[in-house]
Amino acid sequence: MLAANRHPNITTMTMAEVIEVDGYIGNFSVKVRKNPRYVYEDICTGCGACSDVCPIYMPNYFDENLSARKCIDVAFAQAVPAVWDLQMDWCVECYACVDSCDVHCIDLSQEPEIVEFEVGTIIIATGWDIYQGDDYGYGEYDNVITQIQLERTIAPNGPTLGHLKRPSDGKRPKNILFINCVGSRNEEHPWCSNVCCLLSVKNSKLIKSEYPDSNIVVSYIDMRTAGKAYEEYYKRSREAGIMFINGKVGALKEDPETKNLIATMESIGTGSIIEFEAELVILSSASLPSAGTDEIAQILKVEKSPSGFLKEFHSRLDPIQTKIAGVYICGSCQGQKAIGATVNQARGAAQAASIPMTAGEYTIELIRAQPNDERCAKCYKCIETCPYSAISVDESGKIVVDLINCKGCGMCAAICPSLAIELRYYRDYQYNAIIDTFFEA
Amino acid sequence: MAGTIRAQYPTTIRAILVPCAGRVGSELIMRAIGQGADGILVVG
Repeated sequence: MLAANRHPNITTMTMAEVIEVDGYIGNFSVKVRKNPRYVYEDICTGCGACSDVCPIYMPNYFDENLSARKCIDVAFAQAVPAVWDLQMDWCVECYACVDSCDVHCIDLSQEPEIVEFEVGTIIIATGWDIYQGDDYGYGEYDNVITQIQLERTIAPNGPTLGHLKRPSDGKRPKNILFINCVGSRNEEHPWCSNVCCLLSVKNSKLIKSEYPDSNIVVSYIDMRTAGKAYEEYYKRSREAGIMFINGKVGALKEDPETKNLIATMESIGTGSIIEFEAELVILSSASLPSAGTDEIAQILKVEKSPSGFLKEFHSRLDPIQTKIAGVYICGSCQGQKAIGATVNQARGAAQAASIPMTAGEYTIELIRAQPNDERCAKCYKCIETCPYSAISVDESGKIVVDLINCKGCGMCAAICPSLAIELRYYRDYQYNAIIDTFFEA
Repeated sequence: MAGTIRAQYPTTIRAILVPCAGRVGSELIMRAIGQGADGILVVG
């Protein structure tokens, strides 16, 4: 992140959201709203004096709300840029931070700022969000956490400095249960999240090697360890003494006194019902499209898959390009994938975007819509119909087709009641001739 | 599909190539019906 931020050809805009995109490949004009940080990035030295005097503690979203941060604080230790930010939702406007700042970089009156600029190509990499439904008492039982919360707990820079502690009493749990496929592979989210099996294998193995007296159970439907060396990794975990049970946990109840969780599950391998009292339960929750995916799809006019993830041009032959020329996707916004696949796709997207930018020209096919002004009754049905927003009206009311955004689908030609817009090579008279010939014989 | 499962089309079926199923409008469908087609299958 730091290297990217320091690169002379890369400009990063943090706390910003894209609100409007116009144009086409090579000539996109982008409007971005920079939300206020209430701290001037170019002046802040990152001394942290403001955090010391701030009286407000708030949940630390970087630590998945497992720890607290000050209302004015740095997002996390390696944040880029390493500049403090103020969370206005929690601020009581006591101005203690403003008074404490020697370089006067805190300004509570900052407003959102609209920035406009031109770009040639766009890569969407908006990632994913974790499912946070109330399955297995998540949100109600203290000691039921997600894999992401576990990742923060055992991270050396996490809330417990890497020591495994459970949320209810801060004690180290000895009996630990992992539940896979939570909120996924069901009717609502039919997909496999792709990474959770390996995540359970990795995290259970990490805990077991740190605390060999741990008693760890992983409950799974199928163990999906496709990929180089993954099956071997899974085998080593089993040899290390982690118990993998094929069967989904049917019920999970909390003991109100000890806050332990009693899980009942069926082991398909032995056909028996197993009861396991866990001190900590970790849910491998589904990966969902990130919260702003619908908006970004609308702004860039890219399609979405039925699952809600962004749709690629072709799932196997062209998984990077979208239907809009010059707009590429990579990572989990396109579908559930692990880090290796994300890195591959990100490199692919960067390469794909660099090809038209280096060439400086872009070849389109000639199969494009052709409006005919004389016949046009100006009902503008074609404008509403066009899935690529390639049709517009000029000052005199004439229909204009953007030949770059037009993909030659012909929906405008099909909807036009006065046959005033045609698709080159697929014109009405050509089809009429074909149909008539069929019935001549 | 018929090709991949090695099935034969009945000889009374005629296939017309379109760039996209969206190109098939009511004009073309009505023309085919007017000419005597028993049915039209739009496949995308």
